[in-house]
Amino acid sequence: MASATDSRYGQKESSDQNFDYMFKILIIGNSSVGKTSFLFRYADDSFTPAFVSTVGIDFKVKTIYRNDKRIKLQIWDTAGQERYRTITTAYYRGAMGFILMYDITNEESFNAVQDWSTQIKTYSWDNAQVLLVGNKCDMEDERVVSSERGRQLADHLGFEFFEASAKDNINVKQTFERLVDVICEKMSESLDTADPAVTGAKQGPQLTDQQAPPHQDCAC
Amino acid sequence: MARDVNLNSLQELEREVILQVLYRDQAVQNIEEERIRKLKTHLQHLRWKGAKSVSPEYKEKSCARCQRELGLLLNRGAVCKGCSHRVCSECRVFLRKTSAWKCTVCFEDRNVKIKTGEWFFEERAKKFPTEGKHGTAGAKLLQSYQELSKISVVPPTPPPLSESQCSSSSNRLQELGQFKGFNKSVENLFLSVTTHMKKLSKSQNDMTSDKQLRATGPRQCAGRTERRSQSDTAINVTTRKASMPDILKPLNQESPRRLTSPVLKQEDLSSRPTPSAFFSGGLRHASLISINSTCTEMGNFDNANITGEIEFALRYCFKTCSLEICIKACKNLAYGEEKKKKCNPYVKTYLLPDRSSQGKRKTGVQKNTVDPTFQETLKYQVEPSQLGARWLQVSVWHLGTLTRRVFLGEVTIPLATWDFEDSTTQCFCWYPLRAKAEKLEDSILPSNGELEVRAKLVFPAGPRKLQEAQEGTDQPSPNGQLCFVVLGAKNLPVRSDGTLNSFVKGCLTLPDQHKLKLKSPVAKKQACPQWKHSFVFNGVSPSQLRQSSLELTVWDQAIFGVNDRLLGEARLGSKEDGAAGEDSGSPSERQWQKVLSSPNLWTDMTLILH
Ligand SMILES: Nc1nc2c(ncn2[C@@H]2O[C@H](COP(=O)(O)OP(=O)(O)OP(=O)(O)O)[C@@H](O)[C@H]2O)c(=O)[nH]1
Ligand SMILES: [Mg+2]
Repeated sequence: MASATDSRYGQKESSDQNFDYMFKILIIGNSSVGKTSFLFRYADDSFTPAFVSTVGIDFKVKTIYRNDKRIKLQIWDTAGQERYRTITTAYYRGAMGFILMYDITNEESFNAVQDWSTQIKTYSWDNAQVLLVGNKCDMEDERVVSSERGRQLADHLGFEFFEASAKDNINVKQTFERLVDVICEKMSESLDTADPAVTGAKQGPQLTDQQAPPHQDCAC
Repeated sequence: MARDVNLNSLQELEREVILQVLYRDQAVQNIEEERIRKLKTHLQHLRWKGAKSVSPEYKEKSCARCQRELGLLLNRGAVCKGCSHRVCSECRVFLRKTSAWKCTVCFEDRNVKIKTGEWFFEERAKKFPTEGKHGTAGAKLLQSYQELSKISVVPPTPPPLSESQCSSSSNRLQELGQFKGFNKSVENLFLSVTTHMKKLSKSQNDMTSDKQLRATGPRQCAGRTERRSQSDTAINVTTRKASMPDILKPLNQESPRRLTSPVLKQEDLSSRPTPSAFFSGGLRHASLISINSTCTEMGNFDNANITGEIEFALRYCFKTCSLEICIKACKNLAYGEEKKKKCNPYVKTYLLPDRSSQGKRKTGVQKNTVDPTFQETLKYQVEPSQLGARWLQVSVWHLGTLTRRVFLGEVTIPLATWDFEDSTTQCFCWYPLRAKAEKLEDSILPSNGELEVRAKLVFPAGPRKLQEAQEGTDQPSPNGQLCFVVLGAKNLPVRSDGTLNSFVKGCLTLPDQHKLKLKSPVAKKQACPQWKHSFVFNGVSPSQLRQSSLELTVWDQAIFGVNDRLLGEARLGSKEDGAAGEDSGSPSERQWQKVLSSPNLWTDMTLILH
């Protein structure tokens, strides 16, 4: 999925060398689904089997290079425990995109997805980009939520869907990069909505130096 | 929706853990804000440069960007969907893989919106209109925490943030095992966390970000004010003689005999201040007293009793790119001449930063009223993309006899935050009049550096002259001399190799539009040039100078001597109106007034270059 979008970026290498911007991303989901593990895998490439529940909120910063562009990600890891809810929801407004996570071995965490989605609708901006992630896909033996159910729910909610494993490093990087891509798409869309020709068109935030088609000169 | 979020309900340990995160976040935020500030300054600079070249009369048949003529059949140009301006084919940038394009300015605008994250704030504002841009959740939490618990904690110096490796401290409880004693003071907790974090960050050698973090540590609002304060210092030369460059010595020590002779007369004068008291010069205390009295007597820049309001409406027509200011009325204005209860008000506007006469619009003058009705519409042609960089300044003036003008108050509106699309903002509205905004020009224009200068009016203050002055005869005394020493400059926009071959041009425009021009030698290969060059303008009188303007421009000499590059300019003295003190709000203007009112005394000035 992610590979299909890669070609969309950075055709023009030299024109915007110092392109540099910051995205804020929030990871949410029930306690123990593996949010912190997922972030540690992505940012530090580390994993610990021990479970230490997150207190309130935490974040990590990682700069990625999408071809030519340096995008600084501030990734917020929230506590899944209910008692921290007022603090964690305060961070929804600052986030451009969300990773909503459940544990494929935990039915309850899957059932809570709908509620988490409502939280996003309530506390975040209208165009919040959300990726639904079914974590711990390395534990096939203990799976209780099928991929199909995950996909269906994602479709229903209008989110993109990944199954991933923080432990075995499956789809971790891809999830983040896909989220960055969809945020970029939203960004282009919001900047170009005044221009009907561009809306919905697949374009990244960059220019080409191609010349105007001749008929454009007369358009007025 | 705005829930009250605070850290009160949490246990102490949890709170400390979260505080650590908040402080780390604050450090990230500080860096980000600094980056955005730089970007915006840069953009504003671009816009402001563009604004200079755009002719005030928008020509229908020329490219709005490069002003190239457009044809009727060929090369007709097309309308940019972003700004509705007709631009030629050269001034378009195509969005990738589409035939859609934006004009160069709209495209740059778009880039900046991406880089600053402005696009997100704009989108978010659709749902949360009251949300400020920079009030992050973390900042709010931190603030509420600091307000509620008045503990005096020294926040830890955050560790350097390595971009890819991420900042180090995870807030997992497991790591807190080492802080077992829950009773430990908060300081200790912070201390150990700090050392812990420092240990982890040792391996990283990102020294630049380290420095930046130190400078903008938690709870300090990063050193924004530092530069500004420099321009505020008016240092009296007498206290600085020791440090004076050699070149100045002869000027400074001239003819003490002549100055000390009329001592008695001076004391006499200082006890009975008159507009001309400042001609006495020589004794410092005497001249200080006279400065104050001079200012109040002249009344021109006495802002003490500004009263009243002005009613106007603001509209922008995107089709015609015209900004309309409908001036309706004023009420409760102060009298232009308080004693005579006279007031002949008129309204004047500028679209700052443009203060040229082309950018000036005026209403007619209403006679003998402090509640005038104008019903006049003042118009500007200005592109939508330019609006954000402009400030509308509406000022009210009294026109006295002999075209003397008295400032009655002003309103300044940053157009960047004005919603022209919303019809409710187009209604008439009363605005309270205010005194001259301090340093407005300095704060809205991107600075191109600072120029250090020193000025003195050399005036043969013989008894005969004093007499003349007292009698109010304002005859030009061609013996006067304006000595102006260009000391040096700093923070100039340097070349890519970090140096400059800079020089200064001084142009004194006299009331009769006669121009006296002087030029300094070139300071080769210096980023912070020290010219220490004196300009001496001969044959000018103080009264002439009060109606003159001095323009100082700093240039970078072109390598092949063709096009010298303008680095910045500063202007002193009266504007095109010829009314002294009209813009006396800025520190440099006040210093200039001081130069004029205290002859034979050096005044140091730091001028902001724009
Ligand atoms: N097998 C397996 N275990 C995982 C995976 N991801 C996380 N875990 C384990 O699941 C447990 C919970 O992980 P955390 O990342 O701390 O959970 P969390 O979502 O951050 O929980 P809260 O902080 O309480 O919200 C830990 O014991 C992890 O080792 C995974 O992909 N596979
Ligand atoms: Mg966690």
